[in-house]
Amino acid sequence: MSEFLMFLTNGLVMGGINAISALGVSLVVGIMRVINFAHGEMYIFGGYLSYQLAVGAGIPPVLSMLCSVAAVFLGGLAIEKWLIRPTYGDEMYSLIITFILSIILQNAALLIFGPYPVKPPSLVFGATNIFGLFHYGNQRLLSLALAAGIIGAIMYLVRRTWFGKSVRAISQDREMAAMLGVDHLKVNMISFGLGCALAASAGAIIAPIFPVTPSGSGAVSLTAFVVVVLGGMGSLKGCIAGGVILGVLENLGAAYISTDYRHIFGFIILIGVLVLRPWGLFGKRI
Amino acid sequence: MRKLVGVLLGFLVLVWASDPWAADTIKIGVVGPRTGPAAATGKAFEEGIALALDHINASGGVLGKQVEVVFEDTGGVPEKAASGFEKLVTRDQVPIVVGESHSSSALAEIEVANRYKVPFIICEAWHDDITKKNYKWVFRAGPANSGVVDFYIAPFVKDMGFKKVAIVRENSDWGVGIAERTEYNLTKMNIPFVTLKVEREAKDFYTELTKLKAENPEIILAYIYGTGLHFFLAQAHEVGLAPKALVLDGAGPPSLWESFWKNVGDAGELELFISSMHQDVHLTPTSRKFWDDYKKKFGKDPSDYKTRSIYNVLLIAADAINRAKSTNNEAIVDALEKTELEVTTGVVKFGLNPGSYEYHQWMPPMLVVQWQNKKQVVVYPKEAATGVLVRAK
Amino acid sequence: MKRAGLAGVFLIAILVPFFLNQYWLHVAIISLFYVMMASSWNLIAGYTGQVSFAHAAFAGVGAYTSGMLALYGGVHPALGIIAGTLLAGVLGLGLGGLCIRMGGIYLSLTTLGFSEILRIIITNEEQWTRGTMGLQIPGVFSVYSKTHYYFLFLAVTLAFLVLMRRLLNSDTGLAFRAVLNDELAASTSGIDTVRVRLMAFTSSSAMAGLAGGLYGHYLMLITPDIPSLGQMFLVLAMAVIGGMGSFAGPIIGAIALEFLSEYIRIYGEYHLLLFGLVALVIARFAPSGMVGLWEKIWRRR
Repeated sequence: MSEFLMFLTNGLVMGGINAISALGVSLVVGIMRVINFAHGEMYIFGGYLSYQLAVGAGIPPVLSMLCSVAAVFLGGLAIEKWLIRPTYGDEMYSLIITFILSIILQNAALLIFGPYPVKPPSLVFGATNIFGLFHYGNQRLLSLALAAGIIGAIMYLVRRTWFGKSVRAISQDREMAAMLGVDHLKVNMISFGLGCALAASAGAIIAPIFPVTPSGSGAVSLTAFVVVVLGGMGSLKGCIAGGVILGVLENLGAAYISTDYRHIFGFIILIGVLVLRPWGLFGKRI
Repeated sequence: MRKLVGVLLGFLVLVWASDPWAADTIKIGVVGPRTGPAAATGKAFEEGIALALDHINASGGVLGKQVEVVFEDTGGVPEKAASGFEKLVTRDQVPIVVGESHSSSALAEIEVANRYKVPFIICEAWHDDITKKNYKWVFRAGPANSGVVDFYIAPFVKDMGFKKVAIVRENSDWGVGIAERTEYNLTKMNIPFVTLKVEREAKDFYTELTKLKAENPEIILAYIYGTGLHFFLAQAHEVGLAPKALVLDGAGPPSLWESFWKNVGDAGELELFISSMHQDVHLTPTSRKFWDDYKKKFGKDPSDYKTRSIYNVLLIAADAINRAKSTNNEAIVDALEKTELEVTTGVVKFGLNPGSYEYHQWMPPMLVVQWQNKKQVVVYPKEAATGVLVRAK
Repeated sequence: MKRAGLAGVFLIAILVPFFLNQYWLHVAIISLFYVMMASSWNLIAGYTGQVSFAHAAFAGVGAYTSGMLALYGGVHPALGIIAGTLLAGVLGLGLGGLCIRMGGIYLSLTTLGFSEILRIIITNEEQWTRGTMGLQIPGVFSVYSKTHYYFLFLAVTLAFLVLMRRLLNSDTGLAFRAVLNDELAASTSGIDTVRVRLMAFTSSSAMAGLAGGLYGHYLMLITPDIPSLGQMFLVLAMAVIGGMGSFAGPIIGAIALEFLSEYIRIYGEYHLLLFGLVALVIARFAPSGMVGLWEKIWRRR
C-alpha cells in the first residue's frame, strides 16, 4: 500500500511539472494554432540559465530562477516577432519553422552549455517521512507546491485580467475579437512569450531534481504535446488534468506493467485520443 | 534541366579535386563519442590524445614522421560509428584505428575493420564478443565484461560477504552483457539476486528504487553509464535505500566526473566504483609520467580514466607501427601480436589463443574504489587496497 | 533540349563510379538514399501540405522488416525489401486513415506519436532487434562491392523518380495540387480530398519503406537511428533547402546537403547547427528553397 502511495505521489509531482509545461503549449495552440516544437528547448534553457546564474554568477537560487524565466520570456517574444508572425494562417509553415528552430536551439545549447547535465542548487534538502509510510524528497514536495502555485497564477491571469479576456475572446472568435478592438498581434506575442516562460519555469523547477541536458529537450516537448492533446487543445483545465493523468499513468504503468515501456503509455494515449476523441477531455468539439 | 547537369558536373569536379594528397605525417584514426549522451568521453579522449601525441612526437614520432590523429565522432550511435570508421579507412586512409568506449559501436566497427582488413585496437568497450569473434584485425587493450566480473566484481561481492545483491542494468550491449555475466557468477556462488532493467537515458528511478527497496539488497550493482548513474544514486538516498545498501558503479568514470558531487550531493559518500586509475596507485613509471604530464598540461589531476586508456592504445599503436617498420596491415598485426610494451596500467601482451574472448585481449588490473569523506580509497583487491570498506551504520 | 539535359544527367550518373574513390562513392550512395527520402516526403508535404513526422519511421519499418526477415527467416533481401515496402505502405494507409481527415497539427502530432512508439518498441524488444545496439544484417550482394550498390541505388532512385513524375502529371497529381491550393474549391469541384491525401500519404510511406530497406542492407547494420527524429530533421531540411513543392528541389537539396556535410565534417559538432540555420533562413526568407531562388534570379535576367 505504501508503495502504491509512493508511486501515486511521484506521479503527482511529475504531473504538476507536466501541467505547467503543457500549459505553455496549450496557451499558444489555443490562440495562435501554432505548435511550438522548440518548447523543450525553452525548458532546457530555463534550467541552464538558472544554473548559470546561481552557480556561475552567485545569484541566490530563487532570484536566478526568476531571472532565467524572464530571459526566456523575452526570447519567446523575439521568436514570435521574427519567426512565427510571418507564418500566421499557415499551419504547415509554422510546424516546419519551429521544428527547425528546435534543432538549432538544441545544438546551440550543446555548444554553449556543453554536454554535461547541470543541477542548480536545491532550495531544500533531505526527505520527509510521509505519514510514516514512505520517505519522499523535500525538493520534490517543494516542486509540487511551486507547480501548483504557477498553475494558480496562470488561472488567475486568464480568468481575471485584461490579457485573459483578450485571450479568451481571440480563441473563441478571432474576427469578433478584432472588431471589438483586441490587438491580436500584441496578445499573440505575449502568449507566445508566456508559453516559453512556462516551459522555462518547469525546467528551472525540475532541474535541481533531474538535472537538464541539451539532449533531453525532445522528450520534454513530446510529453507536453501528449498532455495537451489529452486535455484538449487550448483547454487550460485539460492541461492540468492531462498532466496529472499522464504523470500518474506513467508511474503506475512503469511500476506495475513495464519499466522499459514507461514512455510508450503517453504515446499510446496520444494516438488513442487523436483517433477516438480528437478534441481531448476538455477541448471544444470540432 | 541544363542547370541540373551543371550542378552535378560542378560537384564531380569538386569531389575529384579534393582527394587526399600524400602526406608527410602518419595518421592514426581514433573513434569515440564526441557528441551524444556520452560526449564527456570524447573530452576525456581529446585530453589523452593530446598527451599521447606530445609523448610520441617528442620521442621521434613513428617511422621518422610526426604522428597526427584523426578523431572521428561516433555520437555513441552504432550506425554513425560504422560509417565514421569507414571514413577513416577510405578517406583518411589511416593504417590503424584505436579507441571506442561503447560496446554497441565497437561491435559495428569491428565488422568494418574486418571487411577492410584494418588493424583496430579498442580501449574501453567491454563486451566479450568484441574479441570473442576472434577477428584477426581486432585487438583490445582494456577491460572485458567477463574479466571485470570474474576477477573483480564477483570476488568482491563474495569476499565482502554481501548476502543479497541487486543488479540494475541499462539496455545497452555493455549493460546487458555485464549483467548476464554477473548473474552467471552469482548463481554459481549461490548468492541471491534480483535484476532490474532501466532505460539508458532515464532520469527518474523512484519506481525502480521502490521496487528494489522491497527486496532489501545489501549491495546494488549499478550498470548504468553516464549521468543516469548520478540520478540513480541521489534518488536511492532519497528513498532511503542507500547507503544501507551500498551502490557500486560498475563502469567508473561517471563517479569521477566533475559533475558527480554537484549532482549527488551527500549521497556520493560511501559510493563504490570500478576504476583502473588511482592517484596513489602507480603500477608503472609511465603511469607517473602520465600523471605529471597531465597536471602540467591541464593544471589539474586527471579524473576520467578513459583519458589514460586512449593514451595507452595510442602508445601501443605507435610502438607496433615502429616495429612493423611499415604501415602495411599484415605487418602491423604481426607486430601487435608480439607487443610487450609498458603502458600506464602495466605491460601489454595480447592473448594469442583463439577460441575465447581472451584472444587479442589484454586486460589491465582494475580496482574497486570507495568515496570516503570525498577521498578515493581503494578497498579491493586487497593487494592494492589503501583502506577498508566502510558500511553505513 | 530537355531530353538532352536528362540524357546528360543520366550519363554523368552512370560514369560516377569510374571517377570516385570508395569514400566518395559511399557519399554518393547515401545521397541517393536521401534523394529518395526527401522526394517522397515532398510528395506528402510539398504537394498536399501535410507535415508528416513519421517518414523516417517508415524507413525504419522497411529496414527492420527486411533486415529481420533476412536474418531470422533467411529471406533474400530483394524479397525482404519488397515486403518492407508493402508493410510501410499498409501502416501508412492505417495511420493515414486515422488522422488524415483532421490533417494539420493533428496529423503532425499523430505521426510524431507513431514515430516515437516505433522507436520505443525497437529499442526495447532487444531479443529481436538488439535495441540501440544495432542489428547486423546481410547485404544484398554476396560479395561486397560499392560499385554494385551504387548502380542498385541509382536504378531504384531513377525508377522511383520516373514513377513519381508520372504520378504527379496524372489526374491524381493534379488533384494533389488542387487540394493544396484550395481545399474548399477542390472538394466542391468533386475531388475527394481525404482520399487524395490518403493516397499521397500511403505512397509516400511505401517509398520511405523502400528507401529504408535498401539503406539497411547497404549499411548491413540497422539501429533505431534510422527511424529517429534526427534523421527526420535531415530529410525535412533537405526538402526545405532544396525547395518544397518542386520536383527538383528535394533532389538538389539532398545531394547538396549530403556532400556539404562531408566537407564540413571537421566542424562535426556545428554541423547540425549549421544545417538548421541554413534551413531556417531559407524557410523564413525563401520558402520555395534553392530552386525557387534560382528561378527568381533566372527570370530577373
